Parts: sequence; C-alpha cells; structure tokens
Amino acid sequence: MKLFVQRSDVGEFRRRYHFMVLGILVAFAVLTARLAQLQIAEAQNHRSQARRNIVGRVTLATTRGVIRDSQGRVLAANRPSYDIYVVPDVIDMKDTWPRAVQLMGLDAAKARDYRQRILDIRAKGGKRKLQQTLLEVDVNRDVVAALETHAAELPGIDVVPTPVRYYPYGQVGAHLLGYMREIDAEGLARYDGENYRAGDRMGAVGVERRWESYLRGQRGWQKVVRGQNRRAQRTGLGEQYLEEPRRLEPIPGRDISLTIDIELEKAIQREMRGQLAGAVVVVDVRTGRLLAALSKPGFDPNILSGEEGKEAIRDAFRRLSRDPLKPLLDKTTSAVYPPGSTYKPFSALAALADGLIDPNAEVDCMGGYEFGRRYFRCTGVHRKVNLHEAIVRSCNTYFYALGELIHIDQLAKVGMDFGFGAKTGIGINPEARGRMPTRAWYARRYKGDGFRGGFTLLAAIGQGATTVTVLQLALAYAALANDGTLYQPQLVRSIETSSGTTVQEFPPRVRSIIDVEPGQLALIKNALHGVVEDSEGTAYSESVGDVDVAGKTGTAQVSHVTPRSVDPKRVWYFNRDHAWFAGYAPANAPEIAIVVLIEHGGGGGKNAAPVAMRVVDAWQKLGKKRLAARGGESSRRDGAHL
Amino acid sequence: MVFARAARTREQFDWPLFLAVVCIAIMGVVNLYSATSPYIDDPRRSGLADMYVQQVYWLVIGGLLGTLAAVVDYRTIERFAYVLYGIGVSSLVLVLLLASDIRGSSRWIELGRFAFQPSEFMKLFVVVAIARKLADDPRTEARTLLDMVPAAMLFVIPAVLVMAQPDFGTSMIYTACALTMLALARVRRSSLALGVIGVIPIAWGMWHFGLREYQKHRILSFLDPEADRTGTGWHALQSRTAIGNGGLWGEGFREGTQNQFGFLPDQFSDFPFSVFAEDWGFIGCMALLALYAFVCAWAINIASLAKDRFGAAVAVGIGATFFWHTVFNVGMTVGVLPVVGITLPLFSYGGSSTLTTLVGFGLLMNVSLRR
Repeated sequence: MKLFVQRSDVGEFRRRYHFMVLGILVAFAVLTARLAQLQIAEAQNHRSQARRNIVGRVTLATTRGVIRDSQGRVLAANRPSYDIYVVPDVIDMKDTWPRAVQLMGLDAAKARDYRQRILDIRAKGGKRKLQQTLLEVDVNRDVVAALETHAAELPGIDVVPTPVRYYPYGQVGAHLLGYMREIDAEGLARYDGENYRAGDRMGAVGVERRWESYLRGQRGWQKVVRGQNRRAQRTGLGEQYLEEPRRLEPIPGRDISLTIDIELEKAIQREMRGQLAGAVVVVDVRTGRLLAALSKPGFDPNILSGEEGKEAIRDAFRRLSRDPLKPLLDKTTSAVYPPGSTYKPFSALAALADGLIDPNAEVDCMGGYEFGRRYFRCTGVHRKVNLHEAIVRSCNTYFYALGELIHIDQLAKVGMDFGFGAKTGIGINPEARGRMPTRAWYARRYKGDGFRGGFTLLAAIGQGATTVTVLQLALAYAALANDGTLYQPQLVRSIETSSGTTVQEFPPRVRSIIDVEPGQLALIKNALHGVVEDSEGTAYSESVGDVDVAGKTGTAQVSHVTPRSVDPKRVWYFNRDHAWFAGYAPANAPEIAIVVLIEHGGGGGKNAAPVAMRVVDAWQKLGKKRLAARGGESSRRDGAHL
Repeated sequence: MVFARAARTREQFDWPLFLAVVCIAIMGVVNLYSATSPYIDDPRRSGLADMYVQQVYWLVIGGLLGTLAAVVDYRTIERFAYVLYGIGVSSLVLVLLLASDIRGSSRWIELGRFAFQPSEFMKLFVVVAIARKLADDPRTEARTLLDMVPAAMLFVIPAVLVMAQPDFGTSMIYTACALTMLALARVRRSSLALGVIGVIPIAWGMWHFGLREYQKHRILSFLDPEADRTGTGWHALQSRTAIGNGGLWGEGFREGTQNQFGFLPDQFSDFPFSVFAEDWGFIGCMALLALYAFVCAWAINIASLAKDRFGAAVAVGIGATFFWHTVFNVGMTVGVLPVVGITLPLFSYGGSSTLTTLVGFGLLMNVSLRR
C-alpha cells in the first residue's frame, strides 16, 4: 500500500500550511482583540446602553382639583376619557396594526393617516419611537372593552384613561369657571419643564385659568422594564436594573371652593331667559363676596373642553367668535358701559360732600335744561323736585343743575372713592377699568382746550365719557348699603387638598373705608328705597312678593352704531338703550347688592328692575329653604338628645 | 482483515476533532435554547421556542450522514467528485428556475415537507471538485495564472449562480474557500501580483452590476454605522451592545437583556454569537473561539498528515469553509465586518447548514482516518 502513496506530491502544499495556521491565529487574534475592546474596555458604555434600551419611564397621571360652590356642590370635576396610544417601535404593522384598526373601528382614511404617522416616527428614529404617541381621544366604552379583552394580542397599543374636565351645570357660571384648552406652542414655551407637554390641557378663562397652578397637580412617573417578554414579566427579569428612585407619586391638584351659590346662579339664568344679552352680579355687602355672576350669552364649557372632540371645539369657537352678542366676553368684568341714572347717587354724594346743594332745595323741571347753546333733555316734566324726588323719579334736570355747580374732578374723585375707574381686583378674566373723566382726561383727549361745561352735566347723569363695569357698580352699591366699606370682590373662599383638608382660607378684604357723611348717606339710601317703595318711584310697579329692595334704575344711551359694523337688519337693536337696575336688599338691613344690566334692553325701570326683583325673591327663598333645612337638622339633633 | 481495519480505526480515530466538534455542537444547542427562550411564554411565537429540539434532530441526522461520509473511502468520493459537482450545479440552476420566492431571494428547493438549500451542500461539492482538480494536476514548477483558470472556474460558476439568487454571503464563502484551497498550489510571483491587481476591476464591476441595492446599503452602513441608526446599522449596533453588555463574565444563561427583550434581530440565525457573548461574557467567548480556532488549525494538521493530494486539499477545503464561516459571522457580530448573512457553524439554526457542516467533518475524519 505504502508504495502507492506518493507523499512527494503533497510536498507542493506543504510550504503553505504554516502560513495557513498563522492566518488562523491572526484572524482569531483580531476577533479576540475586538472582543476585549467591546467586553472589557468599553463594557460600561455598552452596558448602560443595554439598560437604557429596556428601562422606560411611564407617566402617572394626576387629577385636576375639583371646583365647588359655597354649598359644596361640584361645579367642575373630572371623568375618565379613554385615550389610545401607540408605541411606534413596538407595534407590528403587519399583524397587530390591522387587528387594532378593526377593534378601534377606524375608517380607512383615518387608519391610513395614523399608519403614516407611525411610520414617519419610526423612520425618524430617535427617542420618540419608543414613546407612547397619542392616536385617539375619548373612545367609547365598547372600543375600550374590545381593546382590553385583546390586550395580549396587541403589543404596542395602550389604552390610557385620562381624566377630562366635566362641568355638571353646563352653561351656568361658565364665564366664572372657564374651560380647558389644549396647550399651544406659545404656552408650552412659557410653561416649559416637567409639568406640561404637547397635548396637555390647561385652564383657559375664569377660575380654571387663574388658579391653574393650584388645580393642576403634579404628574408622577414610574420606571418600568420595557419590552414584551412574558418570561421577564413573570420572573421580574430586568427589574434589578431599575435604579432608585423607581417611582414618583403624582400629586393631585388642589380643590377650590368658590363663594358663589350655583342655585342662585341658576335662578338668575332662569330670570334672564327672555333677554338676549346682559350681565347680572350679586355680591354680599358685608364681605364683598361674589354670590353669583352671569354674563349672557354664554357658552358650554363642556364642549369647549373637548367633550365632543376637536371638531366640535373648532365649530363652537367659530360660532362664538362670530356672534355679534359676544358670548365669549365676560360682561361682568371685561366690558364697560355708561352707567346712566344708576350713577346719580354718587353724583349727589359728590355735591353734598362739597356742600354745593341743599337737599331740600327744589329745581323746577320743565322737561329739560338749557346750558350754553345746548338744551339737555329730561325723561319727562317733573316740575318742582328736591334731591329725594329727583332720585326717586330719576329727574335729569335736577342733576344737570347739580352738574353746573360741581367741578368734574370732584365727581370723579367721589366716583373713584367708590371704586370706579380702577380694577376691582377680582383676579379672573381681563378686567376693564372703566372711566371717571376728569379735566386732565379731557385735556389729553381733546389736545389741550376743548373742555366744556356740558361734559360735567352729562357726567352727573352717568353719561358722556363715564363708563363702569357691572361688577364695579355692584361693589359701589354694596358700599352704599354697608355705609361706606368698599370691599375687594372675592370669588375663591378656600383651597383644600384632595382629601378635604383646608390649605388656605381667604377672609374678606376691605379695599377702603369711604369718607362719607352718615347723614348724607342716609338721605341717599332713603331715596333709593323710595325708588321701589314710593308710588312715584321708577321701579315701584315692578316689586314682587315680599321683597324689600332699595335701588336705582337706569336707561343708558348708547353711542349709535352704523350698519357697517353690524348686520343692517339688527341696527335697530344695537341702537336701543341699555337697561340697568342697581340696588341692594333687604333695604333696611342690607345683605346683598345686585346689579342687572340688559344690553339694549330699553328702559331700566320696565326691563331691568323686574329681573332684579325676581332674583332677590329667589335669593330670599333660597335663604329660607336653607334656614329651614338647617333648623330641621338642629331640631332633629335636639330630639335625639331628648 | 475486517478486524485489522477496525483496530486501525480505533487507533487512529481522531478524538480531538470529534470532541471539539461535539463540544461546539452542545454549546450551540444550549445557546439556541437561550436565544429563543424569550418566546417560551409567547403564545404567538411559541413554535420558535422549540427550535433547539429541532436542531438536535438535525445534529443526529447530520451525525449519521457524517459517519457515512467518514466510513466510505474518500478515494471513492474523489472518483465521483465531478459527478457530485455536476449534481450540485444542476440543483442551483433548478433553484433559479423554479424555487419559490422567500423574502426576496430564492434559495430553497421544496421536497414534500422539507425544503433544503442546495447552495449549502454545494459548498462541499466545490471543495471536493477543486480538491480533485488540484490532485489531478501535480506540478513541480510554479504555475501561471492561466494554469489556475480551470480550477477557478469550478468556484466561479456556482458563485455566480448563487449570487443570482441573490445570496451574497454564500457566494463569498465559495470564493474565500476556493481561493484558500488554490493557495495550496504554487503560483508565479508575477502571476500572483497580476491576480491581485485584477481584483480591482472585478470589484468595481461587482459593485455596479453584481450587487443589489440592499446589499450595497449594508456595506455602506458598515462603513458608516452612525449614518443609519435605524435600519441595517441598527442591527449591527444592537449586536455590539449585546456583546459589550456581556462584559467579562457575562450576564448569565438566559439573562442577557438585549436578547431577552428582543433587541437582537435574527438571534438564532445570524446573531447567535451575540447571544452567547451576552450570556457568557469575554471568558465564554474565549473558550468558544479557542474551540473554533482549534478545529481550524486541526484541519490543517490533518491536511499536513494526509497521504495524498486529494485528502490534503479536502482537509484544507473543509477547514477553510469552517474558518471563513466563523470569521465572517463573528466578524460581523462584533462589528469588524459588514453584516452579510453568513451562519456560525453549529450555532446558527438550520437543517441544511448543520447537515453540511457535519458531513464536512465526516470528510475531515475520513481523511484523518486514512492517513
């Protein structure tokens, strides 16, 4: 056998073998060196990258604080909205996605749109593809149930319940409460940091906005092991890699109790049913607390907060912003109006303080007043009237005569003592100042000279350049009622934690004590009572039930509008006078002050006064009912003791 | 006579080769279990978790076929070398003609329940054919490049056929393997230099006409991995992270998070080494690479002891197949080579490749037994 073996043949190969072995050694040496680099030199970097791959942070939602009225009734609360999120990197577009589309009941166009979005995020890479991306908001219960049932087959699809804002009373008190709006780019830039993200909602308007930082609460987070490995879920594999702290508990927002009484608010809404537009404010004269405030027309905060989806929000805003009656405007604080005759008590006090008039002196009203080359009209022919009768019967001529005597700056000074021409400090919604015209103001307005005595005559009857807000007027009447204390209006009574502990209580705050002669004030109050009680009074025929109200009617002329600014068919409406009633009740021991403004409502006595009377009536009935309830309760308690 | 042969076989049975291969195979199965363990509790993919059992079946079948390949005298195989080669080339042509399209490339022939990859078995046929060619053509003087052409055609034909599937990786294996074998022959220095220079236009031609877009993309993304962190580059990146995460001692069996949480793509076919490196760390890798290196070197040893040219060339060819598979695969997982689909012998799951590997070792044993 050996003879046939020609080993010399193999000799040609022989010299290659050691090169080959050398090649093997070099190749494996290179691999070894590379492994040493990865597993020893760079091990830490790779390890931390591997940890980052599997460790994720899940946001823990917080709940927004609840808003309640003075009786503890919930005005703004939260309900769950089930939102669907997708993790673009995890979801399987071939198998899982069509199933998810079917379960969610998406139409083809939407499904295509979402699909594209997921693919875009994937293509872009980076951190976002590992994060949850919002797909659908507030899906219905059936979809939620379907998705939860099949959750195991849908890796990458998450149903997350998020609380959405809910306003049980709908339109009632909407301007005070406000609504929730999705944060925009500007807001994100302003409130950067942890607490706000794109898609978040924040309070817009009213209490929701002003107290946002209290109501909002603080999000929490939890570190979790990411990935869809069932074994890891069972054995806790990877959990040891979660560094401490692993969890930050969310802090629920603070609850807020308001001073308003939603039942009174509802009563006002009811009494204003027949009116197109206007505003009503009721304040407690002993504290300055706001008991109710209505601005009409209003809006439904539920829809603006997204109850019916984004389309509905857009539609609602389009409609509201086009409405000539300006439903989005808070007419109690953000808009100014000429006060008309409701201002007369303050003109009278200004004249009395300077000793310019004798309350018993009479002016003969022939239906108007001649001043310079102009003739100033009165509402009627009142013949001989003193101060009392001038207020009761709302005689302009008397006040024109008063205006001729008084300096306009004195009128403004007393007005400002009562809080006109300055912000009241209620804190919500952009507040208008109103205007108390002075010589200086006219000088600025008409470039030096141009002041005429006629301006003072108009200012004395609350016309001309004088404007006020409804809230200012209510607080000024409260100051009349309580003999000279001007309060800062108060809307928030206290702040509580979600468990009910009071964090902060807000006592009433006095803005100023007005320097007014008690005797002179008594004269005015007596006259205001006469407006309602006296058979000659402008609001006499309007009193209802057993209400005991003192107050003043007003019919404020409006500057004429041209058909250019409004629908020509409605010009007649916008040229009608504003109807006012401002007063307090009960007349002899005042508790509340009330102002009713009906925009373009015509005469104040005929139109605004009846509404005010019925609101006061409603307030009285509410008080009695509450008293009865409390009384019954205490007698039951007594019974138990016996 | 029969007893004498049996005694001789026992005497010369190549225990080191046998034990090394058995060790690698066992580690491979264990590693496959770890690689697919994330699917154990997954109702939709629990089938994948049984992969290691299947691999055991393939190893058993492969062991039987390998024994067969070891028992038949290799000179019989030498005689039929070109016939086998012809069968192999025909089946590759057949694949191109009728194979169904799986994931964009057609590599399979279906026979009843089974689908096999002729390109895998073709590796052995190329080795045998080139060995036959080298054995038939002994020379004492150095060869010119022209002398090498017939032998070279033996690998160029299947390489082109496989490239058309398209399977860049296997084509590269044929080439690397055949060139290693051809390196056994003495070639003139000047011819060698010419050959090296000749590679440049061939490479240029390949780039522009031979490679498909995704293949070019893979190579480009290897050259600049940061440019593409999401696609191909992402796979390579996650593989490196897994290996580095193993550190010196490893995360432990079935504890490697990169694999357990699904960051390793194709962890049972192309990236089993990353799974192993994450579980067992640098120490484990060293042990495994030592085994691979030993088998490669041992094949050269067997070649050097072979009694004829055919046996020596076959031993070198089998060793080269094993070597290049290992180096390309580990090289791509550690990120020193671009990602091309080349399996790691006895670690990657696959019937055809396991059978081919074990039959190859049968041939190697054959040569070792008959030295």
